[in-house]
Amino acid sequence: MSRAALFCPGRGSYTERSLRSLPEAHPFVERANELRAEYGLVSLSELDRAERFSPSQHLLPANVSALIYLVSMLDAQTAQAEHEIVCAGGNSLGWYTALAVGGALSFDDGFRLVQEMSVLQQELAKTGGQILFPLVGDDWTLQPGMVESVRSALATSNGQAFPSIDLGGSLALAGSDEGIAHLLRSLMPVKRGSIIYPLRLVQHGPYHTPLVAEVQRRARESLARLEFRPPRVTLIDGRGNRFTPWSCDVDALAEYTLGAQIVEPFSFHKSVLVALHEHAPDRIVLPGPGNTLGGVCGQILALDGWRGIHTKADFERLQASENPVVVSMRR
Amino acid sequence: MSTNRVAVVEAALDAWLAAAPPGGAGLEPDQALEPGGALSARKALELFEDQVASRALDVAARELKRTNRSFYTIGSAGHENNAVVGALLRLDDPCFLHYRSGAFMQARSRHLAGATPVWDTLLSLCASSEDPITGGRHKVWGSRAMWVPPQTSTIASHLPKASGLATSIALARRLGVDSGLPADAIVCCSFGDASANHAAALAGINAARYAKRKGAPTPILFLCEDNGIGISVETPRDWIRANFSSQPHLAYFRAEGELDQVFESVKHAIDHCRTQRAPVFLHLETVRLWGHAGSDVETTYHSLEEIAAIEARDPLLRNAKRLVETGAADAATLAAIVADTRQRVLAAAEEASRRPHLETREAVMAPLAPCDEPATRRDAENSLPAEARAKFWAGALPEAVKTPTKRTLAAHINSALADEMSRRPEMLLFGEDVAKKGGVYGVTMGLQKRFGVARVFDSLLDETSILGLAQGAAHIGFLPVPEIQYLAYLHNALDQLRGEACSLSFFSNRQFQNPMVVRIQGLAYQKGFGGHFHNDNSVGALRDIPGLVLAVPARGDDGARMLRGALGMAKTNGRVVCFLEPIALYHEKDLYEDGDNRWTSDYPPPGSALLPGEVGVYHPEHRDLLIVSYANGLRLSLRAARILQEKYGLRARVIDLRWLAPLPLEAVREHAAQCGGVLVVDECRASGGGIADAIVADLAEGGYLRRMRSVRAADSYVPLGAATAAVLVQEAQIVAAAKEFQA
Repeated sequence: MSRAALFCPGRGSYTERSLRSLPEAHPFVERANELRAEYGLVSLSELDRAERFSPSQHLLPANVSALIYLVSMLDAQTAQAEHEIVCAGGNSLGWYTALAVGGALSFDDGFRLVQEMSVLQQELAKTGGQILFPLVGDDWTLQPGMVESVRSALATSNGQAFPSIDLGGSLALAGSDEGIAHLLRSLMPVKRGSIIYPLRLVQHGPYHTPLVAEVQRRARESLARLEFRPPRVTLIDGRGNRFTPWSCDVDALAEYTLGAQIVEPFSFHKSVLVALHEHAPDRIVLPGPGNTLGGVCGQILALDGWRGIHTKADFERLQASENPVVVSMRR
Repeated sequence: MSTNRVAVVEAALDAWLAAAPPGGAGLEPDQALEPGGALSARKALELFEDQVASRALDVAARELKRTNRSFYTIGSAGHENNAVVGALLRLDDPCFLHYRSGAFMQARSRHLAGATPVWDTLLSLCASSEDPITGGRHKVWGSRAMWVPPQTSTIASHLPKASGLATSIALARRLGVDSGLPADAIVCCSFGDASANHAAALAGINAARYAKRKGAPTPILFLCEDNGIGISVETPRDWIRANFSSQPHLAYFRAEGELDQVFESVKHAIDHCRTQRAPVFLHLETVRLWGHAGSDVETTYHSLEEIAAIEARDPLLRNAKRLVETGAADAATLAAIVADTRQRVLAAAEEASRRPHLETREAVMAPLAPCDEPATRRDAENSLPAEARAKFWAGALPEAVKTPTKRTLAAHINSALADEMSRRPEMLLFGEDVAKKGGVYGVTMGLQKRFGVARVFDSLLDETSILGLAQGAAHIGFLPVPEIQYLAYLHNALDQLRGEACSLSFFSNRQFQNPMVVRIQGLAYQKGFGGHFHNDNSVGALRDIPGLVLAVPARGDDGARMLRGALGMAKTNGRVVCFLEPIALYHEKDLYEDGDNRWTSDYPPPGSALLPGEVGVYHPEHRDLLIVSYANGLRLSLRAARILQEKYGLRARVIDLRWLAPLPLEAVREHAAQCGGVLVVDECRASGGGIADAIVADLAEGGYLRRMRSVRAADSYVPLGAATAAVLVQEAQIVAAAKEFQA
């Protein structure tokens, strides 16, 4: 059995291709639908079985977050049967899933955390948003000047734009509407693959910034009832801090999740590096939906030089070998 | 009995955990191990995790060494209770750690978000260029983010600078120098029981006590990790306690027994140090497992029974028993920690062993001697605005002085120090007799009055401590200018420059620097005064130090400009500069005849400086011969040159090297090419590492085909009285040697 680090995806992972991800009968699915009903929300199975993908329905934060949680939980269960999971983490929303995958929250509490946070974000983070900007080229090596241009765009934003998520090869930046307009104006457009960046992320709020302080305040109130407990596997948060099953400070874990994590930058990059360096897993396993973290992890590996990977080509070569590093459970 | 003691110790822990008796009633995570105690069950588990990780790293180091993938096996096994100190100190408490600090660093890393202490240690063991502290240059414990300057010391030679840093914290606040440390920061330095006997260790402890006695806050925690042995030599029973438990101005704490007892003692020691701002000696009981290092065959001096008895005191085993007994954890939990940690450390070791290494000489040496010349010149040639400077000098500007006694080397160094101190608030000046007396030769006269007792002060009489203070102060933003009263006195403290100050940039990959200009009064020719100890003419020890800049001025105007260059080198590039002042020229006024005043000069106002590589050229129009010299030799050479021209029609060009490290070889080559031959006049001991060999060798290897000669001092100590002339270079010798070029 390979030793694996498991990382759960965040928003943006559920797309049209993710429809019909859910099995008809599975305790997780049934329980999730029950909980959705308690919240008076449309069932996830119904959303999943929709004839057509409707961005206004499927990408609504209160819907898409729960869908992502559920698919990730299902995949993580499979992954736990196939690999020895030595540590777990996630990207942004994926951190909440990781808490449940790792056993620091029950399935129900994990669901509640995801559901209620998404509703709060939907209600309270109506303005502003997130954009994505690459630091690496198509070959995944760092391109000169990109970090500086981000720094300069943030510095001239009049306090309206912030770093949001460090993905290693790219950055999510966030801001008020004014801040986002400033970033879109200030950052020189660059093409990676067929996409032109900076890329505004649809239906995303200014997550992981002080602009969502009210979300944090309300979350502390409404989610105080969640029962955090020591995880079964070591969890790595968005600062790169490790919480082991044995010495985990559950108060600190809860405080981070409902505190700094919401309003301070999240470093998925750092959490993957800590997993690699402190656990040296054989694999990085990525539950679905989608495979948004596949390339992201590849870029992090290339930036680190992990197992001799320095470029996209190196990564693809290793992935095609008998001993790939990244195992993506969905496409 | 097995000789694989690693396996034996590992198995003993596993066996106990597998068959552990039922423990106490399970404690809640926040419950103390003992009622009213400070160590909670959860904290104890954190410590146990850190200790197990440290142990696993020791095992990995040996495994990697066995397969030639790592290069260092001095381990921390048996010292893991130092994790308690690492856990209880703060990240803004600077730490100078000896080589058994694995668990200390694991615990300290918990204070830093996203730290990767296992990986960082493995990279260092494998000498990978990605090692975040040394960049692949050594196995050390260090981290910029965690305020742990790397120590390569195996002999406690880091204690003097730790003491120096401790006394500098309050000084920085008093003088408004930004140290980056809070007012209640304390300094920790660790060392073993054997190295507690070392002269430098005793100097460091003495300096801290002395400073406290003089009223200076000196918050330093001397952490003596007593394992009872130094390599193969046992420390006499109770030696450490007997030696250090009743010294004035040194509070003694002993940490021994169970983990929670150690925790209490360490906490008290740290609290005392922090609140009393006073030196503390923390005597931590440890054992040493698996010999001094992987290469040490312990059975040559211990029987297997003795080794087994030491192993029975394994702190991991003892702590495991304590955690189970108190109900802080069950044995299965501890076994899970051990299994998980061993597995992840070994896996990470495999990965770390594949990371890149330093490959070229340039890459290895990159942090050794940085020099941004334009920035250095800008800094060195800066000065106060004219109006402010005039006010500082109260209208009596040194450049306006015409009295010959005020136009000497000593006078100009004094004025230059004053000018520089007036514009560099972080500059400190200290040494033996420099303040109240103004130096034994008056070079620092009046400076304490001008700049106050906080910036110009007399130190205790110990060169090791003086250089320790300079290093410590420099670590937190000061630009120290310590004085070594005589060159001969430097030698007992030389390691503070060679092993410590000058190696810091190299072993920290430029992340830590200790810029300073060490003024040294030295060289010979004091008109029969003093004998060897006041006339030492050996600079080999200084020229042998990698990265060190050695300046030797001969004249007053050069002295002022070189001092500015030296301070610029230190400030801009973080370099350690030795400024060797020829005592015999301090008050010299004449060059050729008594009363000619031709060795005096106008004080060069700030705005001009001399940097390494810039030589002085006399008689540039002469080409018959090039005389290369410095300091007293320069003056003798100039006198000889006049005789050569007047009596023998030999026209010699003379150059003053000014900088003996790095040597200005390019300038020498250039002038040599224009002259009929080269005579090197080196006032230092003939085979004592002076500059003559280096100059001649460089020219010869560069294909210089004209005649070369050197005149040097005898390979002797310098005697007292008139006999001095018998061993030192004399004017007549220079003339005689130069005449050989006539043919």
